[in-house]
Amino acid sequence: MSPLPKDLRPDPIIELYKKDVDMTLIRENLKLTYTERAMKLMELQRAAEELRRAGRELRARK
Amino acid sequence: MTNYEQLLRVLASGVDFIIIGGFAAILHGSSRLTEDLDVVYVRSTDNIKRLAEALAPLHPYLRGAPSGLPFLWDAETIRRGLNFTLVTDHGDLDLLGEIAGGGTYETLFPDSVVVEIFGVTCRILNLKSLIQTKRAAGRPKDFDALAQLEQMLEQQE
Repeated sequence: MSPLPKDLRPDPIIELYKKDVDMTLIRENLKLTYTERAMKLMELQRAAEELRRAGRELRARK
Repeated sequence: MTNYEQLLRVLASGVDFIIIGGFAAILHGSSRLTEDLDVVYVRSTDNIKRLAEALAPLHPYLRGAPSGLPFLWDAETIRRGLNFTLVTDHGDLDLLGEIAGGGTYETLFPDSVVVEIFGVTCRILNLKSLIQTKRAAGRPKDFDALAQLEQMLEQQE
């Protein structure tokens, strides 16, 4: 059973989502400093923005 | 893209705030992408004045509003409002005077922790309270994030 505090009793919907959580990603993040975690996020944002830009360009060509 | 380093440097130059939301989750180790910075700020006259002055050079504007809409960024605007979703020269910033469940800076403060990011000392909401705020918001888009945060908390305890 979930060891969450009493005021955070398990929510059946969230419990369902938990089976898909990849804890390996979180464990890797926890090895980083706060600044490194923030920098990693900004790199992901850059990548996401580039994908969006490429998608827009592709749609414009069609 | 949101430049968290620059936004935090500007805010930490004198504004009292607590980082919440997706960026706080990232700092706690979450792997979910977020695109803005959410902070709860103190609603005191002095803090509102400092907030207005600190952000003014970043040209804050209401996110999603049509361009050209009259919007004056000053202490009076902040005082008359409460929560602002802004776009700035350094990215998207949500300024919250209060969050779902009645959370203000003062009520959240005991549940915040001090961290250093980019050499800037900031307060972030602790993991348990972050979960509580996301639960209180009750948004379906948060279910996946909540699952991850709760598993992180379970691992810690």
